[in-house]
Amino acid sequence: MNLAWTRRRTPIAVALALVTTVAILNVATPRRGIALSLSIDVAIACLVALSLSSFRTSHPVVSRAALTLLGLDVALFITFFLGSSTNFNLATGASMSIVLLGLSFLTGASGQISLGNGAFMGVGAFVMAVWANHHATTPIVVTLLIAVVSGALVGLLLGLPATRLRGPYLAGMTLAFAVAFIFILNSFSSWTGGDSGLQLPTAATAPRWFDGFFHVGTSPLATTTLYLTDFTLVVAGVAFFFMANLFASRTGRTMRLVRDNDVAAELVGISLPRARVTAFVVSAGYAALGGALLTLIDNSASPPTYSFALSVTILSLIVIGGIGTIPGAIIGGIIYAFSVNVISWITTQSGLNPQGNFASQLNGIIFGGLLILTMLFAPFGLAGAARLMWHRVRARRPG
Amino acid sequence: MDPFLTSRIVSDILGGLTNGVTYGMVALSLVLIWRSTGILNFAQGAMPMFATYIGFVVFKGHLDYWACVGISVLAAATIGGLTERFLVRGLYGKPEINPIVVMVGFLIVLEAVAAGIWSTTPQSLPNPFSAFDWHLAGKPLALSPFTLYEIITALIVMIAVAALFRFTKLGLQLRASAMAPEVSRLLGVRVGRLLTLGWILATVVGVITTILVSGGGFFSGLTPQVMDGIFAYGFIAAAIGGLESPVGAIVAGVVLGVVNQFVEAYVNQNAVIIIALALLVVSLMIRPSGVFTKSTQRRV
Repeated sequence: MNLAWTRRRTPIAVALALVTTVAILNVATPRRGIALSLSIDVAIACLVALSLSSFRTSHPVVSRAALTLLGLDVALFITFFLGSSTNFNLATGASMSIVLLGLSFLTGASGQISLGNGAFMGVGAFVMAVWANHHATTPIVVTLLIAVVSGALVGLLLGLPATRLRGPYLAGMTLAFAVAFIFILNSFSSWTGGDSGLQLPTAATAPRWFDGFFHVGTSPLATTTLYLTDFTLVVAGVAFFFMANLFASRTGRTMRLVRDNDVAAELVGISLPRARVTAFVVSAGYAALGGALLTLIDNSASPPTYSFALSVTILSLIVIGGIGTIPGAIIGGIIYAFSVNVISWITTQSGLNPQGNFASQLNGIIFGGLLILTMLFAPFGLAGAARLMWHRVRARRPG
Repeated sequence: MDPFLTSRIVSDILGGLTNGVTYGMVALSLVLIWRSTGILNFAQGAMPMFATYIGFVVFKGHLDYWACVGISVLAAATIGGLTERFLVRGLYGKPEINPIVVMVGFLIVLEAVAAGIWSTTPQSLPNPFSAFDWHLAGKPLALSPFTLYEIITALIVMIAVAALFRFTKLGLQLRASAMAPEVSRLLGVRVGRLLTLGWILATVVGVITTILVSGGGFFSGLTPQVMDGIFAYGFIAAAIGGLESPVGAIVAGVVLGVVNQFVEAYVNQNAVIIIALALLVVSLMIRPSGVFTKSTQRRV
């Protein structure tokens, strides 16, 4: 009996301490800080749920939701303190990380690769812009969904023939699509606005409750940037949550079997083409979502953004971050958000002429070089290297 | 038939042939590497581009056209050999995305370095032959001494490659080491060297294509991205013809060139790559492994 009480005492004490902390926080913070205390409450609740290993195994979906919520909570909390330009970078990075997640799933789940995800982003971006210009009253979330479905449909059209084949046909075909995309946009220039692209009819603005709840108190423009950043982060959170479940679901397991041993997969009755097409369509849909969000953030969609170079950048980011992994997409998104700043910093530090040829090509040299080096020496990127290091540290630790 | 229309159609066919042979050559070089090493080389346009810069821009004004061609071919052979030996050798037997990613990375690096050294402004190449069209019954024919030189050179290269594979001992060894590397090694074929040779051969075919493409015309010139579009058409041709079949790649390339020319002349310029992409989709749906290859069974 004594033993049982000791075992039960610790969790009860922890729970009491937590409840007290939360209560003190909520009572002590003035009305202005309500968002702050709320975010801390959420973080504590999520951490508690995640710290119980029995809960993690018995409720995998709920604990994945808790993990997403925790990450989202921390991210939103941080955006509150950042300047507008950093927030804008962060929003761009978050929409890019959705695209990366789709590509990561395609490779991680089916062992194939796409060189055309920049073009699928473009499909999402322009469907979003065209739809908003024709039906300005549609809610943003519905427009986003329309963009996703259109991207997925284009993916289906291209994926159907290519995924029936072994070998790099899909990669080559998506390359051809990425090269063709600008010309496709030009062919429909009466819809897509030709070279100058399309503006959204009404710029997105922060709703009143947002300003009231967070007491931003800054200029309307900064508030809108914060709102858009937080909106993008929330959409990215939802996208990550779905993807984490998809990776762990029956579909995800099926696809990993297809990737690792397609003969065995066929023998247990899995249709290879269907699994590959599914993975490709999901990745195209995610890319379209990222592109549509980018249109929302930039308030416009312009054709030169969605050139072949963007597809190559996407590939570099996910390979450097860690292809086939979920953290890799987050790392890649963060790299994308700040790559322009880092590269201009390198340019000034190395004393290159900023207007010179080499400075303008530094982006390609660095990303291309990192792409090769990562694939040769750390095929699973930064995420894979981190995981390997973690396992080594744990193996060395006694017990 | 209206004589004006006839001459226009003849012009389109000739113009299409000129483009088509360059697509065919790119497709051929892709097939050479795919058959011997199972890699789709996405830097197949960029490696020869770099070699052409070395041959023509470094020695600009010092040497005549043919000496520059010689230096470019030497540079291409070196780049091809070194790439296989140091970049690709470790990738055999890895998952199929690894070589794709590495070669895409190589493509970016080569294009960025070339643009860094030589800038992105087009560099004109000296013309060995006049690029002014011949006239037939007072109308321009879309055939100039330069385009004739282009077509004849391409034909010679294709026939030479075919003859090499079919009639020489070296070609036999190349085919053997691609089809059954283990058996060939046991029989005394030095497979590693032959794979390097395959890459050298493909890059040399590529550099001849690049020189032809970036010379001659009034609007063309050598840029770091000169081969990007042609690579896309070359891949489409190779995939339609079947990545396994050199003849299929060449024929599909030539046909694609003519089709493109007609689309450009009678529809519009934007439609060219869209129609090409549609052709690829349809042909892959109907004959997944290419029009010119027999379907093969896969052994487990």
